[in-house]
Amino acid sequence: MAAAGRSNEPLVSIQDLTVQFRTDRGWTTAVEGVSFDIGDGDCVGVVGESGSGKSVTALSMLRLHARGTSRFPTGRVLHAGRDLLTAPERELRRIRGGDIAMVFQDPMSSLNPVLTICDQISETLRLHQGMSRPDARRRAIELLDLVRIADAPRRVDEYPHRLSGGMRQRVMIAIAIACRPRLLIADEPTTALDVTIQAQILELLRDLRAELGMAVMLISHDLGVIAEFARRVIVMYAGRVVEDAPVEVLFRKPLHPYTEGLMASMPSLDGADTATLYSIPGRIPDPDETIAGCRFGPRCSYAEPACSAVPPELVSVDGGHRVRCPPRTRTVTPTATGARQ
Amino acid sequence: MTDLSIRSVAVSPVLAPRRRFMLLRRLLAHRSFQIGAVLVLALTLAAILAPLTGVDPSSMRVRLRFRPPSEAFPFGSDNFGRDVLTRVLYGARVSLWIGFVVALLSGLCGAVLGVIAAQIRGLDAPLMRLMDALMSFPAILLALGITAALGPRMESVIIALTVAYVPAGVRIVRASALVVRELDYVQAARIAGAGNFRIMLRHILPNSVGPLLVHMTFVFAYSILAEAALSFLGVGVQPPTPSWGNIIAEGRDYATEAWWVMLFPGLGISLAALGLNLLGDGLRDVLDPRLKGTG
Repeated sequence: MAAAGRSNEPLVSIQDLTVQFRTDRGWTTAVEGVSFDIGDGDCVGVVGESGSGKSVTALSMLRLHARGTSRFPTGRVLHAGRDLLTAPERELRRIRGGDIAMVFQDPMSSLNPVLTICDQISETLRLHQGMSRPDARRRAIELLDLVRIADAPRRVDEYPHRLSGGMRQRVMIAIAIACRPRLLIADEPTTALDVTIQAQILELLRDLRAELGMAVMLISHDLGVIAEFARRVIVMYAGRVVEDAPVEVLFRKPLHPYTEGLMASMPSLDGADTATLYSIPGRIPDPDETIAGCRFGPRCSYAEPACSAVPPELVSVDGGHRVRCPPRTRTVTPTATGARQ
Repeated sequence: MTDLSIRSVAVSPVLAPRRRFMLLRRLLAHRSFQIGAVLVLALTLAAILAPLTGVDPSSMRVRLRFRPPSEAFPFGSDNFGRDVLTRVLYGARVSLWIGFVVALLSGLCGAVLGVIAAQIRGLDAPLMRLMDALMSFPAILLALGITAALGPRMESVIIALTVAYVPAGVRIVRASALVVRELDYVQAARIAGAGNFRIMLRHILPNSVGPLLVHMTFVFAYSILAEAALSFLGVGVQPPTPSWGNIIAEGRDYATEAWWVMLFPGLGISLAALGLNLLGDGLRDVLDPRLKGTG
């Protein structure tokens, strides 16, 4: 694969990742054949419906699924010359919170109620950098300042229940960036927050990315958030990557019918026909459902007989644009427009 | 910069009360906790101040045996002419101490084993089956067997009762630890690079011991009862050391003539059990917000 002009090896390279979970009926495949790279300082958005495998992919990158009930039949997650899927636990512990950090969706339950903010920020610092207590405390105050919590010297000694949701998410971000990670995975960081706070958190993430020069992988089901934040977008559907493109390309001319459907189901302010909102017919298939050929086939309005014959491949259309839809990639010309419904 | 530091200095002394103190204040406002705490404190104080009666609990005055409660013997005297009041007070020391130590030890073991069972998958099944096996014996029978094997001493009573009450504690802690380990902040700690041991000690344990605390007050009460039962059966604390159990045991033969010998230690047991149960109820109401308002 020709990585578009990037210097040498990517920060994290996910190659053919397949994740399975044990259920009552045997092993269920949650994510299949996912590959993409994240370069230093990249800003990648991952979109998809609930159950499309976004979070599973993210958690697999740090091997955070319970052992015994999950497995990786294929795939590698390369980081600094190591495969994180097979690296020893001790090594992973060094990478978690060190090189790669993560922020979750629900800030209300992500902080330990019996420890002060200071304790929780210091934990990472003391684990990874062996800082002394007073040093860690000083750094914790700096970090709270950095994530723009007013009155940091006072807030640092409070317990989580005294902070609002937005502030807790800021604390979570402070914990995540404490050791200057090179990649921050933000798993729906704004979903549990109200709209004004969402905007502030996104802005904070954007500024921190610029300030610290880290890569960010933003997982969201909200195309608006992605459009505002990401430079490159990966669209996932039923455990597979269906489209991967720079953000302008994806929003101007999406190639995959699913992406097209997602775009069409967004309310727009300029169009006159916003009375009824488009929705993609059908529902996301169960991971156990056997669908011949393309997983999106049954919901696709462009489906051809050939679509249900063979599972489609992810094909590179030009430089940084990959699509998993043979009818579209076969006939693709640079002028093909994403015809709206 | 100076502006900021001045402000922070000015603000920090008036920090709003922390959660711990809020809990404490809610506890102190709880009616049954108040009654329970007063009872337990009074009994503890009485036990500590036992030497103030100025009488040796073992000094016998055979000529004054079986005196009913009077000014000289407020709780009467027993078959050797010993002062029952003094013996009940010294007995309180032994009985309450055993109850306290058993509650503490079994709570400690329960917390550690419970968190281990919840967090380390491979140990869960063996550990819990062992606990089930221990639980399948009635607690008192198990304790009886262990004291009989170890020899009748106070230490063996403590060990036996601890073993008998650990399984319940382990179950309670495991149950809440299983809930806590799935919470986001435990995952967050793992993502921050914390190891298994650290996660258990700092994140799971402190958030799972609430129910155990309540359970421990009940174990305290049960242990006092169980000690009395063991001593009554003759495998517990041995005479002449008085404990509530063996005072009752010694008074049994004269129950019809000298009811006071059995009554007062019996009252001690009831009051201690009542007080500890009320205390535990209050603690449960305050620690478990779902039950708020019913107390």
